[in-house]
Amino acid sequence: MTISRRVFVKAGGLALVSLGLDPLFLARAAFAAAPRPGSPTTRPILVCLFQRGAVDGLNMIVPHGERTYYDDRPRIAIPATDVVDLDGHFGLHPGLASLKELWDNKSLAAIHAIGSPDSTRSHFDAQDYMESGTPGVKSTADGWVNRYCQHDREHADTPFRAVGFGPQLPRILAGSAPSLAIDDLQAFGIRAPQDAARDRLTRAFEELYEGAGTGLLASSSQEGFEAVQLLKRANPMQYRPEHGADYPPGRLGKTLLEIAQLIKADVGLEIAFADCSGWDTHVNQGSSDGQLAARLKELGLALAAFNRDLGDRMRNVVLLTMSEFGRTIRENGNSGTDHGHATAMLVLGGPVNGGRVLGRWPGLAMEQRFEGRDVAVTTDFRDLFGEILARHLGATDLSAVFPGFSLDPGKFVGAIRS
Amino acid sequence: MPLTVIAILCLQTVQAPPAAPAPALTARDSAFHVLNRLAYGPRAGEADSLAKAGVMRWIDQQLDPDHVPDPRLAEREKQFKILDYNRSDLAGRYRDAVRERQRMQREGRDTPDSIVMRSPGPMRELRDLGGELQQLAVVRAAVSERQLREVMVDFWTNHFNVFVGKGQDRFLLPSYIEETIRPHALGRFEDLLIATARSPAMLFYLDNAQSVAPGSMPPQRRPPPITFGPFGRPRFGGDPFGRRFGMNDADRQRQRQRQPTGINENYARELMELHTLGVDGGYTQQDVINVARVFTGWSIESPERGSGFVFRDWAHDRGNKIVLGQTFKDAGEDEGIRLLKFLANQRATMHHVSAKLCTRFVADDPPDGCIDAAVAAWQKTNGDIRAVLRAIFTSPDFWAPQAFQTKVKTPLEFVVSAVRAAGVDPDTTPRLAGLVARLGEPLYQQPAPTGYAETEEHWVNSGALLARMNAAMVIARECSSVQPLPDHARLVEAINQQLLGGTMSAHTRDVILEQIVDISDPMQARAMAVGLALGGPDFQKQ
Repeated sequence: MTISRRVFVKAGGLALVSLGLDPLFLARAAFAAAPRPGSPTTRPILVCLFQRGAVDGLNMIVPHGERTYYDDRPRIAIPATDVVDLDGHFGLHPGLASLKELWDNKSLAAIHAIGSPDSTRSHFDAQDYMESGTPGVKSTADGWVNRYCQHDREHADTPFRAVGFGPQLPRILAGSAPSLAIDDLQAFGIRAPQDAARDRLTRAFEELYEGAGTGLLASSSQEGFEAVQLLKRANPMQYRPEHGADYPPGRLGKTLLEIAQLIKADVGLEIAFADCSGWDTHVNQGSSDGQLAARLKELGLALAAFNRDLGDRMRNVVLLTMSEFGRTIRENGNSGTDHGHATAMLVLGGPVNGGRVLGRWPGLAMEQRFEGRDVAVTTDFRDLFGEILARHLGATDLSAVFPGFSLDPGKFVGAIRS
Repeated sequence: MPLTVIAILCLQTVQAPPAAPAPALTARDSAFHVLNRLAYGPRAGEADSLAKAGVMRWIDQQLDPDHVPDPRLAEREKQFKILDYNRSDLAGRYRDAVRERQRMQREGRDTPDSIVMRSPGPMRELRDLGGELQQLAVVRAAVSERQLREVMVDFWTNHFNVFVGKGQDRFLLPSYIEETIRPHALGRFEDLLIATARSPAMLFYLDNAQSVAPGSMPPQRRPPPITFGPFGRPRFGGDPFGRRFGMNDADRQRQRQRQPTGINENYARELMELHTLGVDGGYTQQDVINVARVFTGWSIESPERGSGFVFRDWAHDRGNKIVLGQTFKDAGEDEGIRLLKFLANQRATMHHVSAKLCTRFVADDPPDGCIDAAVAAWQKTNGDIRAVLRAIFTSPDFWAPQAFQTKVKTPLEFVVSAVRAAGVDPDTTPRLAGLVARLGEPLYQQPAPTGYAETEEHWVNSGALLARMNAAMVIARECSSVQPLPDHARLVEAINQQLLGGTMSAHTRDVILEQIVDISDPMQARAMAVGLALGGPDFQKQ
């Protein structure tokens, strides 16, 4: 039998707060099987990285074996001599060269021609669909990660079970299951000059918000205070990356470092989500060098550092990149690319069936294209997300996570080793 | 505005609030409500004085801001250097900053930007001006007597969002706010739409400046002069301030390759999806392409020097274009104006923008009644923003008890309302703007053309709430609106009346009293009590 910690806390724990007892302490006692903070967990972890702005999948995982690719992109194609070849047909953008090692040791795979069945070319809509997990349905209130958390409650869910890194909670995490937005791990919590003053002020605000009744203010604040307590116990603040990992400067490197930090703190993190932006390359996209190359280089270095930092812990970690759609096959008049359809995604980690470009490649010939201009979608993004949820995290009810979509394991691309 | 119109408008509104379903709001609650929604929250004592003077009269005054004296803001604005510079001044400063950075790169000085920023120089000056730009928005919201106009400036700035971090928008944004958004914030929607379409900031942000008819070529020009001459051909993208000294054939070849050679759909799509019709507005991908064709040639003259709008005849697509079934015959620049007017007055546009206004002023999920009233006013007045707002402010939905204290404040609304309630006097340093940023809403820094969201699920999460509590404690330290009364019960009641308009819950009062019971220093007790009140759940709502 399992007890939802939150139900327990809400039902019985709060009355004890005013007596000075910590509901988390009690809660932890309520499910003795739960790992204690600081002890390594074997729980599977998923890290999602959203490349907002629609990454050009064709210049990320380059189909250098296709003549059309070079014909349609005279100014921005990656010259075959620069591509880091993977299998004779596809290759990595040279900016991602730092990931070749992971490809070779089979912990990195790419999925090409993946995307949404909805044909929208609006960033806003397509991101919304990818986060709600219901392409074409705008009224879905919650995100698919949150729905997974709602329906698979047998885990000992701490407030850190699902964490979005950034100032605002992303759509993908929105919903009735607890989830947390962290903008800066070091500064998380109530600030005060001394520890005693901080604890007192934290308690005061906690009490204030207990009177907030129901609703988002009440539940969000409670989650916040629980998280503060848990993080304080885990004390991951003296953090140094391990194994010589060198995160690149910038927001992405900082975020992945904090995710690694939280994983190692063993505070119950199961799903982490972060954004990285700058992929909307309408103008002067560049080729082996330039705008996109700089973003990919940062991405490659950050992923490589994350992998190195976590070391053995990558056994239980899968990192997934996603982007709302791809870009036009043909370059536009500004040496850039416009909004397209299918793109490419990366999966990295111990459980990954790596060293392969997965999914069915539709080809770039005119008759193989979507609406005559874009890479056609041959893998519905829900098939990949569903596979990772089921085979990595052990989700039991995918129809609840992706309502209106019947997931067929026969359509899984095989991203996770079975 | 003609006097007769004013008279009619006053007549229409003097009798309001209209028959709202019982239980109606009290006069004081009405004043508190209006000050929270049409303004950035009440200053100490303001709800009472407004309740006495008449809420509807105040709304009328706010809808006619040019007749509201605003000497304190005028005085304060003089301290902002950013207002002394025009677009080309700022372009020059940007150029200097880029040169400083290039020089450092050339010299191989591998200095992190943060260290460079601390030493005086063009980069530091540019960064400081950027901070001023953000802080100016906070100061205006906090200090201005023309509160509704400031609220609408924020609304339109989000509706027609431009990301300040995109290349030349770093120096184009100040004039976008001053010359494009502010003068039209309470004017006609159509005029505002046209102003944004022609603004260098928007033309650059959504790439229309680069959109040209396929196959079109600029007229032959003389070889580029050595310095920035009047005929210097604008360069597109990349480093806007790269100099032309020593340009060789390879450089020229590269420059030719960078010349735009086709249409760019970006502005066309966002114009229909976000600015006018809405995502369900019934347009197709072909409409997007045709709108982009209409706007070919709408560009910026010498963007790197901060010049203004230009219509490049040579870049314009001369064919006929069909948008939403309507044919736009070749008419050069005028085609775009006609298209904007056409879009501004589509039913879908009226509904989309009215619903957004109601989400801001009435409720996160606004009832149909207020939206319909706004649409009707829009239709009747051809999109007079004041008439649309008046329709919302006089709709029963606005005055319904279920609208009272039920909307969560955005980070900007939270910080500014706390500053106003606590009587904090903001300066030109970007301290308050920094607080707004830490709560998740760095001003002008939303990269997506959607702008920032209005509804609570985007702003309420555990991390952001903790940040609000921290911000409240910071602001409370400078509180001047409540006397540091040694009697704690009187202190907390004063806070309830002055800061919370009497809406403080019994629970909040008890918790605050308990927390300050052992603080004997009246100043410290006040700081703690005000901080808890501002950071607590009651003050998050409006």
